Amino acid sequence: MTEIFQQSINALLIGCNYTLIAIGFNLFFGALNVVHFSHGDVCILGAFVVLILYGLAKFFGLLNAIPLYIFIPLLILATMLVTGFLGVFFERLVIRPFRQAPLLMVLVATVALGIVIREAVRLTFPHGSNPQIFPRILPTFSFSIGGVMLRADNLIILGTTFLLITAMFLFIKNTKVGTAIRAVSQDGEAALMMGIRMDRTVAVTFMIGSALGAMAGVLIGAYNNIIRYDMGLMGGVKGFSAAVVGGLGNVYGAIIGGLVLGFVETFAAAFIPGGTPYTDVFAFLVVIFFLVFRPSGILGEKVYEKV
Amino acid sequence: MTDGRFGKAILLLALEAAFFALFVSFMLAQETWKIVSFLAFFVFLGFFFKKWARAGEALARLFREMKGLAAVGFILLLLLLPFFFQKSPYLIHICVMAGLFVILALGLNFQLGSTNVVNFATAASYGIGAYTSALLAVHYHISFWLGIFIGGGVASFFGLVLGFPCMKTKDYYLSLVTIAFGLIIYILLTNFSWTGGPNGIPNIPAPTLGGHSFREPLQIFGLTLPFQTNFFYLIFFFAGIALIVAHRLHHSRVGLTWNAIREDEIAARCQGIDVTWYKILAFCIDAFFGGVAGTVYAHYIGFISPENFAFIVSVVVVTMVILGGMDNVFGVIVGAVLLTVLPEKFRAFEDLRLLMYGSIVVLMLIFRPQGLFPQKLRIYIKK
Repeated sequence: MTEIFQQSINALLIGCNYTLIAIGFNLFFGALNVVHFSHGDVCILGAFVVLILYGLAKFFGLLNAIPLYIFIPLLILATMLVTGFLGVFFERLVIRPFRQAPLLMVLVATVALGIVIREAVRLTFPHGSNPQIFPRILPTFSFSIGGVMLRADNLIILGTTFLLITAMFLFIKNTKVGTAIRAVSQDGEAALMMGIRMDRTVAVTFMIGSALGAMAGVLIGAYNNIIRYDMGLMGGVKGFSAAVVGGLGNVYGAIIGGLVLGFVETFAAAFIPGGTPYTDVFAFLVVIFFLVFRPSGILGEKVYEKV
Repeated sequence: MTDGRFGKAILLLALEAAFFALFVSFMLAQETWKIVSFLAFFVFLGFFFKKWARAGEALARLFREMKGLAAVGFILLLLLLPFFFQKSPYLIHICVMAGLFVILALGLNFQLGSTNVVNFATAASYGIGAYTSALLAVHYHISFWLGIFIGGGVASFFGLVLGFPCMKTKDYYLSLVTIAFGLIIYILLTNFSWTGGPNGIPNIPAPTLGGHSFREPLQIFGLTLPFQTNFFYLIFFFAGIALIVAHRLHHSRVGLTWNAIREDEIAARCQGIDVTWYKILAFCIDAFFGGVAGTVYAHYIGFISPENFAFIVSVVVVTMVILGGMDNVFGVIVGAVLLTVLPEKFRAFEDLRLLMYGSIVVLMLIFRPQGLFPQKLRIYIKK
């Protein structure tokens, strides 16, 4: 029983990462009907932004000047901001030119953009091909409740994710910009006619999605203590899978999809003998199963194609 | 009129020989400035034909008029290629790799170009073909000539398996399925013990033909050519077959049907086209091409590991198809050769190779989405 609880916490952690990435996919799909295949790489880029900012702070002596509990939140906020702007930049660069073009174009273009981001990170970072050590930004002490080991950093990760997701939902629900995002996602043309500025709304959407993705990258780095330039490919495919399982375009679906994938992976690794190397295979089989038998995902509505 | 034809034939052969000489000297060029000036010349040629489209049209008409002669001249020149590279086996190696990628790209073209199915699992069928025939050759001593059919067949079967979930999905979802399939195959190859795990399979025997092992130097006309020459002729043969198959398919009802599905799936279905069957056919043929290329690769290099069949290989093949011109058999071949040869000529910038691939795709899609050689509309002339 404790084993199940223990594994559930791991599953929740992994699920949180996938959820944060999947929210981006859903937001972008809602806004523009595109899948941004390089979103995973943008997320991992977030982790590398942390590395850069951390290094800069160390260089200028900020690290010792400010207490850690103020410095770390500031660092993460700055990272989210920088990555958010990068996301907006990538949208301008690679997604906007294809707004009227066939789907295939933007699909291949974003896959290619993913390669460009990965390679750019690998080439610009010193020893970029090797895993980079991620700074210990979270406390590492642990305690146990009823035999279940709880690590402080894991709890912080869970709490932060929860807070961020809640904040995002409140933002989308209650603010004017959030309403614009929902309107664009419902019907872009109608939203335009209501006087919503399409380009600005899309930019805000990419800002939010990429910023949340950056958080996912930071959490992946904090959880594994290392970060590698090519983690973005797997992260992106998993995040997209989570979005699809939950229902593409449905922001709530991201949570369910992320958790489903997290639990499948963790429990496959823990309870299937010799299953550890094959966790990703199980995850993908689940995704393919969903795509075949329920392509609209758990929360998605069935879409009928109009001729 | 006979004189006119004769003159034209001479002109055609001279043009081909000139182009061939240009290609050979480009391949032989070592210094960076030479390579760059050759490239500048090629770019200049491109702009020349863009500016004076009539010159290009005249050239195309000339080639179309004497299709047979042009093909024979081209084949003869290519067969002579290894003699020019006698001193540098590495150049022949590049040509063999170019041939392999031509087969892969032609296979993918059935899907990406003709049917508009974005398949990112080329590396998977490539790997399945390679592993099948390599395992059979190493453990059961099955000859390459049989292995190539088994490799292609098994890859084709997996293409069928992949095709079924893909039938229920389209666009992004379909691409996700193919990416997931490619990653699954990669993970399985890395983790199974009977595939050698991450270490791969070493010591794959080379094919033999009439007692002559392909890993021994080839001797013709008293000349000794490096062993890569064997594989050059082998891949030349297979790429030729692939080209003929691709060309015939494109001009058959099947090719026309694929194009109909690409233009509008629902309209195609209303015309009575069995969309599922034709899409699965595209999957199987693509996988067969991939399997054959994989088999040749395994027996050529003699060593395979999962790294050779990673996701990135699929993206590279997609790049070739897009760069060359989707659905255009000729363009796809040019794309495959260009993207294999150019990075090898710029070995100094080896590290930038993938960055270059990615940037090429993004830039091409933005500025010239139809590729270097766009496919023209089909013309049907009444006879």
